[in-house]
Amino acid sequence: MDKVLVFVETKGDEPRKASMEVLCEAARLAESGRFSVEAVCLGVVSDVLKNRLLRCTPKLVRLTDPELAAYSPEGYAHALAGYARQIGARMIMAGATGAGRDFLPRTAVILETGIVSDVTAANWFDDPITFVRPMFGGKVFAEVAFPASPVVVTVRPNSFAMDMPEGINGEYVEVAVGLQAGSIHTRLLRVDDTRKDAVDITEADLIVAGGRGLKAAENFKLIEDLAAVIGATVGATRSVVDAKWRDQADQIGKSGKTVSPKLYIGAGISGAIHHIMGMDSSKVIVAVNRDPNAIIFNYANYGIVGDLFEVLPAMTEEFKKQKERV
Amino acid sequence: MNILVLIKQVPDPEALVEIAASGKDLNIEPKFAINLFDEFALEEALRIREKHGGKVKAISLGGAKAIEALRTAIAMGADEAMLIEDESFAGSDGYNTALALSRAIEKETFDIILCGRQAIDADRGEVPQMVAQFLGLPHVGVVVKLDVDDGKAVVESALEGTKEVIEVTLPAIFTAQKGLNEPRVPLITGVMKAMKVQIPKVSVEDLGLTKEMAGPDGSKTRIERYLPRKKRPAVQFIEGEPRQAAAEIVRILADVERVI
Ligand SMILES: Cc1cc2nc3c(=O)[nH]c(=O)nc-3n(C[C@H](O)[C@H](O)[C@H](O)COP(=O)(O)OP(=O)(O)OC[C@H]3O[C@@H](n4cnc5c(N)ncnc54)[C@H](O)[C@@H]3O)c2cc1C
Ligand SMILES: Nc1ncnc2c1ncn2[C@@H]1O[C@H](COP(=O)(O)O)[C@@H](O)[C@H]1O
Repeated sequence: MDKVLVFVETKGDEPRKASMEVLCEAARLAESGRFSVEAVCLGVVSDVLKNRLLRCTPKLVRLTDPELAAYSPEGYAHALAGYARQIGARMIMAGATGAGRDFLPRTAVILETGIVSDVTAANWFDDPITFVRPMFGGKVFAEVAFPASPVVVTVRPNSFAMDMPEGINGEYVEVAVGLQAGSIHTRLLRVDDTRKDAVDITEADLIVAGGRGLKAAENFKLIEDLAAVIGATVGATRSVVDAKWRDQADQIGKSGKTVSPKLYIGAGISGAIHHIMGMDSSKVIVAVNRDPNAIIFNYANYGIVGDLFEVLPAMTEEFKKQKERV
Repeated sequence: MNILVLIKQVPDPEALVEIAASGKDLNIEPKFAINLFDEFALEEALRIREKHGGKVKAISLGGAKAIEALRTAIAMGADEAMLIEDESFAGSDGYNTALALSRAIEKETFDIILCGRQAIDADRGEVPQMVAQFLGLPHVGVVVKLDVDDGKAVVESALEGTKEVIEVTLPAIFTAQKGLNEPRVPLITGVMKAMKVQIPKVSVEDLGLTKEMAGPDGSKTRIERYLPRKKRPAVQFIEGEPRQAAAEIVRILADVERVI
C-alpha cells in the first residue's frame, strides 16, 4: 500500500484549517484501500492537540528534534524529507499555507522530486493521478501529472471538504530525524503579531472586502461591523492598501493574496481583473456597487446596485436579526 | 556586496490567455513584462548597492525574447545581465527551472540573491526555494523589509498574517513581496545604455544539462491539459430599497446558499 504523509501545521492547541482539510481528504483516500496515511507534526505538540489529531488519523508522528521548536524552512524541509525517506513515502501532502508553500519546494529538492503547488482539486482515480491547479490568476487551470516519486503537493485552503472521519483512534509515535547542528541559518528574532485572533484571509470561510468606494479609511468601520456580525475576515483592494487605509496583509488580488471563501461580499469595488484574480474561486460572490455597469457584477452571483453607505448598515442590521433568530 | 536578481519575463497581467483547440497549449497574447514581484526584487538590489556598494547582476532563464526583460533591468540600473537561453527549460516545471538557474549561479560570486515571491504566469512560488536548496543556502520568503549588515541580514517576512523578524547569515536568498519598496522608472540614460549593452547568453548544455531533461519524459511533473475556469451563472440583481435588498440577500445567503 502506498504511504501518504500529511504535514499538519499547528498553532498552539490548534491545527491549521488547511492541514485538517488535507487530512480529511487523506482519510477518504485511505478508505479506498490504496493508501495508508500518517500525519506528521514538527516541533511542539500539546496533549490537547495530540488527542484531537489522533481522532482524525490512524498514525500521528511527531518529529522531536529541538531545532524544530520554531519554524525554519531549512529545518522543516530536512526533517520532513528525512522522515519521508525513512518510511518510503509515496506522497507528501500539505496545506498551501504560507509555511507550506515556503518549505515544501525545498523538501522536494532534497528528495530529488518536483512539487505541484497550490492545487484546488485532485483526480485520484485517474491513471496517472492528476492535480488541478490555477494559473494566470485563475484565468485557466492546468491538469498536472506527476511521473516522479514521491509526489509532493500543497493544497489551497478551502479546496477539500472538512468532513471529519469517524471511529478513528490513532497511534502516536515520536521520532527524532537527527537534524545536523548548524544546518539552520535563519533565526526568528520576534513576531509582530498585531492581528492575533483574525483568521488568515487565505483560510477564511467568509470575507467582507472594501474598495475605494468607501472614500476614507475610517469608513472601513462599515465593513468591519458587517464582518464582525457574521464572523468574517476583512479584505481590501490594492487602491485601498496603496492609500494606506488598510494593511498590505488584507490585499486581495494578483499582487496580494488569493482567497477562496464560501462567501465573499465586496462593496465599493469596481472589479478590475487584478482584483478578480484573487477572489474568483470564492463559492458565492455578492457585490454592492452604485454603478450598475461595474465590472464586478460580471463575476458576482448576487448584485445590489446602491449606495454602500446605506446598504452595508442595512445588511449588518439584517444579519444581526438573522443571527438572533437561529 | 554582490547581488544577483532572478528575473522572469512573463505575459503582461492583462494579456489574453486562451486554451488552444488541442487543450494541450495556451495561446497567449504577445505582450510581455518583467514579473511584477521581480521588479521589487531588482529595486531592492539597487538600493542595497547604493548603500553598500558592489554590483547587481540580473539573470533570466527564457527564450530569446527574455532578453527584453534583461534590458529593462539594465535600464533600471543593473550592472550586468545574463540570459540562459532555452525555450524548453523555461517551459518546464519548477524543478528544472531551479536546477538550470542554480547551475548558472554556482559560477557566480555573490552575497545575496533576490527573487520575486511568485511568477504571475504559472503562479507556482517555488523556484527560489528550490534554487536555495540546490545551492544549500538559506532563504527567507515573502520579504517586506530587508536590512543588510556585515555578513548577515535582518528581514521582515509576511509569510503568514503576521510579520516575522528573522536574522539570516549571508549568502542567502530572499523573495520580494509587494510593500518592500516602490520600483523606480528607468531614466532615459539607462534606456540608452540598455539598448547598446551586449548581454551574454549561455545554453543549458554550457551548464552541463541536456534539453531532454526538460522534455515531457524528463520532467518531474507534466501538464497533461488545460481546463477553462468555471463560469458563474449570470448575476442576479436584488431589487428594492436598501432595507428590502439587505433583508432579501440575507435570506438568500442563509436559506438558499446556506453559507452563513
Ligand atoms: C500589475 C497590477 C497589479 C494589481 N494588483 C491588484 C491586486 O492585487 N488587488 C487589487 O485589488 N487591485 C490590484 N491592482 C489594481 C486594480 O487594477 C484596480 O486599480 C483596483 O483593484 C481598483 O480598486 P477599487 O475597486 O477599490 O477602486 P475603483 O476602481 O476606484 O472602484 C471603486 C468602486 O466603488 C464604487 N463606488 C463609489 N462610491 C460608492 C458608493 N457610495 N456606494 C457603492 N459603490 C460606490 C464605484 O462605482 C467603483 O466601481 C493591480 C493593478 C496592476 C496594474
Ligand atoms: N525562468 C526564470 N528565470 C529567472 N528567474 C526565475 C524564473 N522562474 C522563476 N524565477 C524566479 O523565481 C521567482 C518565483 O517564480 P515561480 O516559482 O515560478 O513562481 C520569480 O519571481 C523569479 O525571481
